[in-house]
Amino acid sequence: MPVERSEKAAALVQRIPQKVNRQIMLSLAACAHCGLCADQCHYVLANPGDVTYSPAYKGDRMRKLFKAHLDWTGKFAPWWVGAKSVYTDEELEELKDTVFGKCTNCRRCSLNCPMGVDLATFNRMARGLLVHVGVMPDGVAHVAKDQWEIGNQMGVLQDDYLETLSWMEGELQSEYNDPNIKIPIDKPDADVFYTINPREAKYDPRTIADAAAIFHFAGENWTMGSDGWDMTNFGLFNGDDELGGAVAARVYDAVERLRARKLVISECGHGLRSTMCEGPNWAKRDLTFPAESSVFTMLNYIKEGRIKVDKSKNPEPVTYHDSCNLARSCGITEEPRELLQLVCSDFREMYPNRAENFCCTGGGGAMSMSEYSPRRLKSGKVKADQLKATGAKIVVTSCHNCVDGLFDLIRHYKLDMEVRQLVTLVAKAMVMPQAAVAEVPPVVIEAVRPARVLEGCKILVVDDEPDVRTYLRAIFEEQGAEVVDVPDCNQALRAIERDRPDLMTLDLIMPHKTGDKLYWDLRKNPNYVNLPVVIITGYMRMEAPGIDFHRFIQEKNLPQPEGFIEKPIQPEVVLEKVATILGKRVSLQN
Amino acid sequence: MYPTSPLLQFAENLLQIVALLFMATIYTLKIRWILRFPQGKDRQAPRGVSSGQQGAKTSLLAIAMPWTMSSTREHFLLYMQFVVFHVGVAGSIAMSFVIPYGPSLMRSAGIVKALQVLFLAAALVGLIRLVRRLGSTYMRSISSPDDYFSVCLLIVWLVFSALAAPNNPQAGEGSLLAYFFLTAFFLVYVPFSKISHYLYYPFARWYLGRTLGHRGVYPLVKGA
Repeated sequence: MPVERSEKAAALVQRIPQKVNRQIMLSLAACAHCGLCADQCHYVLANPGDVTYSPAYKGDRMRKLFKAHLDWTGKFAPWWVGAKSVYTDEELEELKDTVFGKCTNCRRCSLNCPMGVDLATFNRMARGLLVHVGVMPDGVAHVAKDQWEIGNQMGVLQDDYLETLSWMEGELQSEYNDPNIKIPIDKPDADVFYTINPREAKYDPRTIADAAAIFHFAGENWTMGSDGWDMTNFGLFNGDDELGGAVAARVYDAVERLRARKLVISECGHGLRSTMCEGPNWAKRDLTFPAESSVFTMLNYIKEGRIKVDKSKNPEPVTYHDSCNLARSCGITEEPRELLQLVCSDFREMYPNRAENFCCTGGGGAMSMSEYSPRRLKSGKVKADQLKATGAKIVVTSCHNCVDGLFDLIRHYKLDMEVRQLVTLVAKAMVMPQAAVAEVPPVVIEAVRPARVLEGCKILVVDDEPDVRTYLRAIFEEQGAEVVDVPDCNQALRAIERDRPDLMTLDLIMPHKTGDKLYWDLRKNPNYVNLPVVIITGYMRMEAPGIDFHRFIQEKNLPQPEGFIEKPIQPEVVLEKVATILGKRVSLQN
Repeated sequence: MYPTSPLLQFAENLLQIVALLFMATIYTLKIRWILRFPQGKDRQAPRGVSSGQQGAKTSLLAIAMPWTMSSTREHFLLYMQFVVFHVGVAGSIAMSFVIPYGPSLMRSAGIVKALQVLFLAAALVGLIRLVRRLGSTYMRSISSPDDYFSVCLLIVWLVFSALAAPNNPQAGEGSLLAYFFLTAFFLVYVPFSKISHYLYYPFARWYLGRTLGHRGVYPLVKGA
């Protein structure tokens, strides 16, 4: 055993006593090693025989540290009780692989442990210890940095956010032919302050519009904030209570500044848990206003008669996936079902369900850790089987991480199913006065653009962010393209060789190998020198001087890429660019 | 009442008292140690029909309600083994007080037989648990020497419990001596071993239940 600890290992060991509270200490001490938790975990069920996925085994990685540094017996006779400290950076990497890559903190094992050992909570603590010494997946570091520096975990700039709200407001006014429909921003003394997941602003703004329509027709006095509008909180995933507290405080400050009477949190499992349950603890402040999930708000509007709904407008068979954060950490299981029964005509239960439901595999920040995607998708077999058994055509979930996780599984396991959120179904089921309904079809992008412009084209999407891949895939597939997506440059090279795409979209900042290196490799390779490349990046030169792409191609005397688009992605811009490059410009304009 | 040897008298009385005092001292120190860790605070507003106290009660009773957890529901045989094993251990601990201080409570041959069956069944379960711990890759991966030793210790102790149950020194004091010396060793060893999970788990369950009850998770709603 090495005597000298690495700098990081020493810092981690020093941090342990500060992170262990009484609940965690008891969870670490109470495990009887009975093994009953093993098959409660979706990772174990999908990887039979691999003990490293077993919750007790994963918990023991942390317990060994606890025994070595805090427990008497571990100090007295370490080998006898299995105490073991960490000494090297390699050992920290192994711990990282376990606590980030083999557990989504879904808490299913915690609720099924006869001893009440809360494995998920001390797995989060282990993540926090590693984050403290800078050991974490690249994606986690990236997202946490955005949330610290920009104020939201997707790096959406305030101008882009406000522009999106304005865009959605215009859409609603056209859709309902009503110039009075507004998305109020920073309105003081509102009854409702509505917060969202930045994924909505960046990739799924329609959910904002749906919520706005519901608030409008319910006659709600509501507002959104120009600050503190992101209720998601990566502190829950990376175990950093300081980040958790700072992010939650931004939301609380915004509510208090505008003197709003209630905080309503859009459909996001971890966002709700972070903002409503954990946030006050992290931020060390008691909330001066009530907070609730938008599911409760919508349900109350229907019950109070403030909006009318017609369930026949959602005739497809629908099932409900319980988000782990809602069901196992916030006790929200019945209200979404009650709401679904009101707005859908064919609801089918999934088994097991509620607190016993299996994880979507996208929780715990898993969607930001592309290096673990193959594991995640493999472990999703359990969920895929659950989904398939329902026979439903739509799986509804009240969580954005679940939306992405389920979307990936549906595609991977080729299930004939779509993922939706409750807000979409409620908005669709709303019955409005005839005068409020305009002739203009609701989705402008679809209305002005003939479908399937990219029919027959094969497009390779290279981006480490699953949300971006999902979004681009949806845009291209909707237009008839065949899409292959990969999370890193190494896989991109293999995909180019194997799939022979007609065009590639390429992110620049990715783990392991950056996009500019791949571009250089392609332009050097006579086989791929003519492959059209559209760079899609969120990084401008000043923010990422190491990735100054324009200078890079000048210095290397490389040809310009066929397209260069900055995030946030505007579907029209991407489609126009891609269609033009592929010689489809005339079709687009038609 | 037959006279017993000074060694057996020592093993039944003074040795047990010393061992118990030792265990109590260690547990007192351990509880002080537990209380040194700061208690997390639940600042969020209560939700649902439950409360922290109700949640804590639900959580504590979960161990006696195997239908509430899929782990115990799906592995009911393992759960029953757990029940037999722990009832056997509790019975044997109780017997270590009854023999020296209330032997009349075990005068009935029926009670003695019932206890012997219980102790042997518990020992058999212990053996099954040992085989499972040795045979399953999952169990081996989480087991330390203490895990193996603890279960072996309990198997042997339960067997001697069965032999000592008749409390018949005139037929030979060997089994009683072995039982009481093992009991004393057990009391001294427990605070340092995984067996002390029985001390920690009620607290772990109470804290988990308090939080989940406060948030409306406990009591769990069963699916249709």
